[in-house]
Amino acid sequence: MLVQRDLQKQYTKFRLGYLWTIIEPLGMSMVLWFVFTMLLGPRKLGLQPYLLFLSIAILPWWWFTKGIAQSAQVFQKNKNQLRISTLPTELWILRVLLVTMMEFILSLPVIGVAMLITRTYPGPLIILYPVGVVVQFLLMYGLALTISSCAVVVPDLARIVRIGMRAMFYLTPVLYAMSNIPERIRPFAALNPVVAPIGLYRIGFWPQEHESATHYVISFTLCAIVLVVGILVFRRLEPRILKEA
Amino acid sequence: MARVHLTPTLESVVQFEKVGVRLPVRQRRRGGGRRDRLRRMAGEVTREEIWNLRDASFDVAEGEAVAIVGHPESGREALLRLAAGTLIPDEGVVRRRVPVVPVIGVGRALGRNYTVRQNIYLVGGLLGMTPEMVVERLPKIVKDSGLEGMVDKYLGDVPGRARGPLAWTIAMATEGRAYAISEAMVVGDPTYQERCWKIIEAKRADGVSFLVTSERPAHLLRFCERALLLDNDTILADTTVEDALERLPLLKRHKHDVGLAQEELADEDDDELL
Repeated sequence: MLVQRDLQKQYTKFRLGYLWTIIEPLGMSMVLWFVFTMLLGPRKLGLQPYLLFLSIAILPWWWFTKGIAQSAQVFQKNKNQLRISTLPTELWILRVLLVTMMEFILSLPVIGVAMLITRTYPGPLIILYPVGVVVQFLLMYGLALTISSCAVVVPDLARIVRIGMRAMFYLTPVLYAMSNIPERIRPFAALNPVVAPIGLYRIGFWPQEHESATHYVISFTLCAIVLVVGILVFRRLEPRILKEA
Repeated sequence: MARVHLTPTLESVVQFEKVGVRLPVRQRRRGGGRRDRLRRMAGEVTREEIWNLRDASFDVAEGEAVAIVGHPESGREALLRLAAGTLIPDEGVVRRRVPVVPVIGVGRALGRNYTVRQNIYLVGGLLGMTPEMVVERLPKIVKDSGLEGMVDKYLGDVPGRARGPLAWTIAMATEGRAYAISEAMVVGDPTYQERCWKIIEAKRADGVSFLVTSERPAHLLRFCERALLLDNDTILADTTVEDALERLPLLKRHKHDVGLAQEELADEDDDELL
């Protein structure tokens, strides 16, 4: 409905720069790949081929940071619209998430390129890829609800989130695999809701290397908790959001 | 999920029952973000909220035009927003039988970076029109706001004086059965204003309800038959427009600068990643 329309509207902006949606992650993957295979060559990081391994996780991660960073400011940015909007307030968040998701989907050909370059093709478990997208979307929805409503009360939050996202990037197995983490602290690494969707993305290519079931359980539970918390926080703060508009 | 609930069985169009809302106090002078934060640490700036409207109870009947008379900070805008459902009360209930279209700064919701067509879709959608309705009414909106031939121009390139009429026409095109209007009852040059009057007076005659505030007493006198006089967050009287306007100068102005103020946030670049 309206989201679609909003999307279309955003789209017209993107179409001019569609190429950029591809070039940016591709370039970034290349740089990281170069750094981690050529420069730090001997220490094996992640799984092979590394280029593919990297681009598979980095695209959704891109979506994740963009979506969350933008939703932190969504209510401040759309003040004027919010003031006359008779539509559900959540729509603004959904809109941000959907637009960033479209960007993510449009940049998927990068993975195709990486597959061609490395001549690695996925197994049947690739069907879990869309599941990962859904899980990530729900997780982001919960997180975005929490962050965007709290950002209304604490305006500094938008900046904190940015720093937080950067820290998360290194704490999440994007550049490396779960198996790179020392056995001892692995369960703690799984205390990260993003682990689950990323695991789902990779499972199609490296079925034998997939994260252990306990990791999935921990991570999924966290996703669910984040979602529930998000909905609750948002309900509490919705009057406040409107007041600040 | 929907924010605005309707009560189809309600007898009046809008009903306020002991409604109150608190709004955050805004400091009149606001420096940049850092200075603001420093002041807050120093305890100079508080994030307290004060009552902007309390214990408001009234009914608006079908086809009635009610003027909300009061000083700018008396809570009149909050009252309109509560009626439209773009603000949620802290106490009491607001019931409405039909959606109330908020005509409260619609012009500000228009985006310069979108084309006229996109703006119509956006604002129309915000005000409750479905895409089909927009498609159907688009030609008429464009014609009535005098923007023929500029549909796909960016709004920034369209003469500034066309924005008011555009916002106004979109709001009226929603064909709502109730409106909450702040300031812009009629817009544009005098001839255009006359047309606006015709349109809203026709709506009145058709049984559409209105809640109106305006800095121009003449507009209220011409259009409304009933007035709510607001003083420092309470409804002082439910009376005729003449009476309310006469008593208004006797009321003290509000000392606080409460919520709903204009303040633009600098657009920050959020494309920074990693």
